Amino acid sequence: MRGTDTALGAAGLAVLLALGEAAPRLGLVKEAYFPPTSRIAAALGREAGDGAFWTALGDTLTGWALGLTAAVVASVAVGLVVSVVPYLREATASTIEFLRPIPSVALIPLAVLLYGTELRSVLLLVVYASFWQVLVQVLYGVRDVDPVAEETARSYGLGPWARTRHVLWPTALPYVMTGVRLAAAVALILAVTAELVIGAPGLGARIAVAQASQAVPDLYALVVVTGLLGLLINGGARAVERRALAWHQSVRGEVAV
Amino acid sequence: MRRLLAGLAVGAFLVAASACGSSDDSGTPGTDTSSGGTTTVKVGIIPIVDVAPLYLGQKKGFYANHGLRLSLTTAQGGAAIVPGVVSGQFQFGFSNMTSLMIARSQNVPVKAVANGVASTGVAGKDFGALTVKKGSALTSAKDLEGKKVAVNTLKNINETAVRESVRKAGGDPSEVNFVELAFDQMPAALDGGRIDAAMVVEPALATVKSQGGTEIASSLVDVAPDLTVAMYFTSAQYAQKNPDVVKRFQEATAESLAYADAHPDEVRSVVTSYTKIPAAVLAKVTLPKWPAEPNRASIEALEKLGARDGLFKSAPDLDTLLP
Repeated sequence: MRGTDTALGAAGLAVLLALGEAAPRLGLVKEAYFPPTSRIAAALGREAGDGAFWTALGDTLTGWALGLTAAVVASVAVGLVVSVVPYLREATASTIEFLRPIPSVALIPLAVLLYGTELRSVLLLVVYASFWQVLVQVLYGVRDVDPVAEETARSYGLGPWARTRHVLWPTALPYVMTGVRLAAAVALILAVTAELVIGAPGLGARIAVAQASQAVPDLYALVVVTGLLGLLINGGARAVERRALAWHQSVRGEVAV
Repeated sequence: MRRLLAGLAVGAFLVAASACGSSDDSGTPGTDTSSGGTTTVKVGIIPIVDVAPLYLGQKKGFYANHGLRLSLTTAQGGAAIVPGVVSGQFQFGFSNMTSLMIARSQNVPVKAVANGVASTGVAGKDFGALTVKKGSALTSAKDLEGKKVAVNTLKNINETAVRESVRKAGGDPSEVNFVELAFDQMPAALDGGRIDAAMVVEPALATVKSQGGTEIASSLVDVAPDLTVAMYFTSAQYAQKNPDVVKRFQEATAESLAYADAHPDEVRSVVTSYTKIPAAVLAKVTLPKWPAEPNRASIEALEKLGARDGLFKSAPDLDTLLP
């Protein structure tokens, strides 16, 4: 089944690449603004041979990883505390719903004022955007705890730490993992956007330079790189999720019996 | 359990905070890091041909001779540079004159310190031009009445310049429909007929020309002869506290500008180090002029036109703005 999926995925990509090659060659789109796949591939090769490209890639990944880690750690901690303390949950509900939909991009002027074009500007946007993704999942996850399991654990004399460890966390984990997977993608989008708009070093800034330089194939090559990066990150997040949840289901199975 | 979780939360925030803090290895913003008599200053620039003298001056050692080391930080236009300089993230920045005058008229404490870039002053051979696509029926700026004309930023220097071209050609600028479009998107938009004319600068101008597009006016030249288009600036606060650094930056920049003006080949070669302009395009790019000193008369002309178009809340005080 997985083999078929992979084959279909590859076929889909091949068709896309062929279309990308044919459309400008046949004159359906202007070659100057939409270069054929082969020219984009050549530009990609040039990029790969340039040290500055790898530095930019490293900068983007640094912003992504630091931002995502900080957001996940903070949101899981805040999420658990807020859900476990009933007063806090009620006191923060409306605030969270108010802050959550604010687009991270709207914080760009603030980021520039505070940190200029440094990495910290990128982190501000990445952490803000990713934080809510995970937080909301944690809140849902904790709400999903089976009261019977919770009461059973209590009556067996399990302490607060043990209950968190054996009842609350296993229930919340699938939600948290979903949140992390969504946040991983959002963090990449925000990292590249921040670089593109603010000019913080990274792939986004390199895209902006290519754009301002009228270097169209290079521009597309860099956009392709960000796409590939997104694909890798999503694949990685899914793999982590599968592992974490395989463990979780086996534990749940024993509890349910 | 609550105490434990609260502890976890505090710990997480500390981790998050230190993760943010540890990335700061470039010194506290707004403070110069001096070592061995050399002051490092952060300069916010746009990665375009205009700022080539800075790269060249750094390479040739003009800044080192004045005890300066430039940390050139590329940003995406004035949106990041002006607030960056005012908040002390950058010590110096690069901005066009209209933006600086608008900032000054809104009491944003900016102070121009060194000349940036000037128009060549030669109609038809400038680094910016009002262009139309190949075979367009529009032949004069007057024909733009009722037409869609792209400028990179509305209510800024290029709109002022185009309005003046229309006026000089005997047309009514208030009849022109201005639309905002990034320079790099103008050639495609022009070619696709989505706009009727575009005020482009290099390297987009070279791209338009390579597709057979033609110039109908040299709008920057129409504003004033040898127009000072952009300057390097700092915040009034920084200028007041560090008059010596500002003076050294002025002197080194003046030398760099003069050198760049005299060595166009070296300019073209240094441009490839910080832009990705393809060699074929770069060869056709019209370089701007880099006079060592700003042209006050041209800036006054730009101010009058800007005031006429209602760009300024109150008249910007050029005596406090200019060096």
